[in-house]
Amino acid sequence: MSKKVFETLEKWGIKNYKIIDKQAVKEITLGASILATGGGGDPEIGLLWAYKVLDEGKIVVMVDPMDIPDDILVASPACLGAPVVLTEKPPSYDVLNNAIRKLEQYWGKKLGATIPIECGGVNSTVAYAAAGEFEVPVIDVDGMNRAFPELQMTSWVTNGVNASPTVSCDDRGNVTVIDTGDDNKMAENIARRVAMAYGGISWIATYPMTGKQVKEASILNSQSIAWELGKAVYRAREKHLDPVKEMLDSLKATRNVTGMKVFKGKIVDISREFGGESTKGFSLGRIKMDGLDEYKGSVAEIDFQNEWLVLRIDGKIRCLPPDLIAIVDSETGEPIRTDIMKYGYRGSIILIPAHERMRTPKGIQLFGPGYFGYDMDYVPVEELNKEVAK
Amino acid sequence: MAKDVRIGFDVGGTFTDGVMLRGKEVLAKAKALTTDDVTTGIINALDVLLKTKKAEVSEISLVSLGTTHTTNAIIERKNLNKVGIFRLGAPATTAIPPLTGWPEDLKAAIGGIDNIFIIRGGKEYDGRDIVPLDEEAIRSACRKIKGKVDSIAITGVFSPMIPDQEERAAEIIREELGDIPITLSNHIASISLLERENSTILNASVITVMRKAVEALKKAAKERGIEAPLFIVQNDGTVMSADYAVNYPIFTVASGPAASVRGAVYLSGIDNGVVVDIGGTSTDVAYIVNGFPRESSITVTIGGVKTNIRCPDLMSIALGGGTIVKTKGNEVIAHGPESVGYNLVKLGKSFGGPIITTHDIAVAKGILDKKLDIFDTDFAPHIDKVKALDKDLVEAAYNIIKNTLEVAVDQMKTVAGNVKAIFVGGGALVVPRENLEGISEVVMPPHFEVCGAIGTTIAEIGAYAEGVADLEIEDRDDAINKVIEKAKDEAEKAGAIRDTVEVLDVEEIPFAYMPGKREKIRIRVKGKIFE
Repeated sequence: MSKKVFETLEKWGIKNYKIIDKQAVKEITLGASILATGGGGDPEIGLLWAYKVLDEGKIVVMVDPMDIPDDILVASPACLGAPVVLTEKPPSYDVLNNAIRKLEQYWGKKLGATIPIECGGVNSTVAYAAAGEFEVPVIDVDGMNRAFPELQMTSWVTNGVNASPTVSCDDRGNVTVIDTGDDNKMAENIARRVAMAYGGISWIATYPMTGKQVKEASILNSQSIAWELGKAVYRAREKHLDPVKEMLDSLKATRNVTGMKVFKGKIVDISREFGGESTKGFSLGRIKMDGLDEYKGSVAEIDFQNEWLVLRIDGKIRCLPPDLIAIVDSETGEPIRTDIMKYGYRGSIILIPAHERMRTPKGIQLFGPGYFGYDMDYVPVEELNKEVAK
Repeated sequence: MAKDVRIGFDVGGTFTDGVMLRGKEVLAKAKALTTDDVTTGIINALDVLLKTKKAEVSEISLVSLGTTHTTNAIIERKNLNKVGIFRLGAPATTAIPPLTGWPEDLKAAIGGIDNIFIIRGGKEYDGRDIVPLDEEAIRSACRKIKGKVDSIAITGVFSPMIPDQEERAAEIIREELGDIPITLSNHIASISLLERENSTILNASVITVMRKAVEALKKAAKERGIEAPLFIVQNDGTVMSADYAVNYPIFTVASGPAASVRGAVYLSGIDNGVVVDIGGTSTDVAYIVNGFPRESSITVTIGGVKTNIRCPDLMSIALGGGTIVKTKGNEVIAHGPESVGYNLVKLGKSFGGPIITTHDIAVAKGILDKKLDIFDTDFAPHIDKVKALDKDLVEAAYNIIKNTLEVAVDQMKTVAGNVKAIFVGGGALVVPRENLEGISEVVMPPHFEVCGAIGTTIAEIGAYAEGVADLEIEDRDDAINKVIEKAKDEAEKAGAIRDTVEVLDVEEIPFAYMPGKREKIRIRVKGKIFE
């Protein structure tokens, strides 16, 4: 078994790195699902792939973004297409390998490391599986520190890095190179149609960038944030502690992120806007929760478009995109997704401020309230919840 | 003499219940301890029933059971078949080979990873081949596993929509290996490859377990002079003939709870509501939709493996007659999840023991005030011990139990509003039944304590079939009728009289994110065993 990744770390002069074992993958995947803001879909396939890679004795290591050389090529391996096809037709190693190798050809450089594009769903974990398969490190960053439905909705775009060239592949060996310059919405449109032509699913290598760009444009240490969240939940389960409190305490203590619990209740109504999936590619709707315990008598309403978007409590706006809304089971800490929520589900609502790199004027334009059809100005979640935050 | 007596058994974790019925009249009830091999417990209960002499053996027209043979074998990793595993899907799908994520001991018990083959083949959603099926690779795999496996599982990408490749692969395997049990995934479950593959492999692993159980029970019946067909309850509460069940044992994993829902409907006449089945250690909550258990929409984990077989949407909570009330002085700290189980009659306060249980709280509150005739022991031989319990403690425990029940019933609802509840099972008398939030009325039909066993004797055969239609080419009614005929074929194979088969529901599922007008059609039918 070659340990090529350690030779790479030595060459880069990196002494501090984290070995990602099965337990770590499990914790990171759970934490990422909490950050996914109700979206991202089922992470199972990515998780199983990572397990298989580790079972084969391959090594996955995570490095800090500030330690990597400025000139290496970094890219994000990901899946783009219809979730139902993914569950019926999981990938092969070859399809992702093909995407990466073709991207290297187009770029003229070997891949130095992988970066997850988002937190949540299959894409959160695929970067780890790919890192193991290709014997490169995974970098402790991502492009949003949450989940969003479209390719262009990243901190990379808001900070001047483009999705192009994106290489899109299928299992039969078909390759499509999408190069739309700085029109990232067009890259999304083309990539979506290529996936349809392939049979519903494509595997992409996207957002090629240099090590320097990773440092300047990513959400730094977002994987560690997910990891700490996941660890907190497993710790709470093992020691029968309150998972919500463990999560929030751990975020503050380890990553200096101030999350807050603003509600506990049960889902009493779900209204889905039918036809949304075919017309806009989104699943749209609103849920209503009645308060429990200290929130009895209060009502929370959350609008969703694949992800939770806007939270109102007793009619007052309490969270707007891109800030994060998570609903987690009050006992198990398991997050609830928009695609599997049900009437009667009981949970606590947690809000987490989006990273500064998501809140730039360009970011608010790309994925603030206006992009999702809300005629209102973005107000940071800390402002909206002053009395809770203090 | 009329042949109109039916016998049914419901195997539970602790007890195996048996009933003997003529029409709706319950002639006899029996309770036997469930044995490790399950079969002996059933035969013991059968003997108790026969000893009552309430009917002649020659009058018996049907023997039916809800059983845990399959589930136990998988959970205990006992007597499982070595399975030859074929997936039709390469070059796609190879990143996650079969058995990924399975517990190591279960993997080993079905023969390990040496018998896995990912064959070039599989379909796209629109019917195109991913690549043509590699028939030679199947033949060469057969030569490798010849004599090493007991059964075969075949899973093809998109086979629930286009099953041809799975059927062709089975043909080839029969040519190479002769008469070996083969499970095709398109007969077992729907879209979601890995979960369907898991379900298919598990099914193949318990075929011998089911065949031996059926053989033993048939032999026992014959030795006792019973000449009646044997039926097994499946997960939707209908039954299938024992010979058919041998090929589809995985369809029996939830037969107990399903039979209990069907029994509740049969005894109460309520077609829509909630069934609360209370035992010694746990309570199952399930909803009835038009007389059948509501299906679960999420994955079902069996023995540590994720599957997507259709099962009743069930919530099990740690609430039973033997559930322990933990106290500190006169304060209640917690209720459960531990239970004294069948040691209730030694350890419970009502029986002179040291431990306070749900049973004792019910006796203290006066809601449990009679002995059910299936139990040997009186309900409270030491009632003075219960009377001595602190009033506030009893009240606090009662409220915790009531709340646990209310939350479970509410969490299983799909819409707001009150529901009718049917309380059944041996523990039905130990839980609160008055002023329950979210419940409009609690119904306790006669014979509620053997509801599951009665549910097995309803004698309706269930079956289903699936098909895919492209409505741009095919007429919708023709397409649906084609699938209905297929479902009727299946019902007939499972033991129904064809003329009695009726359609229960027609489901049409359009393919989201897909061009064209393709849809999946799923038909569920039921038919009678007797004219």
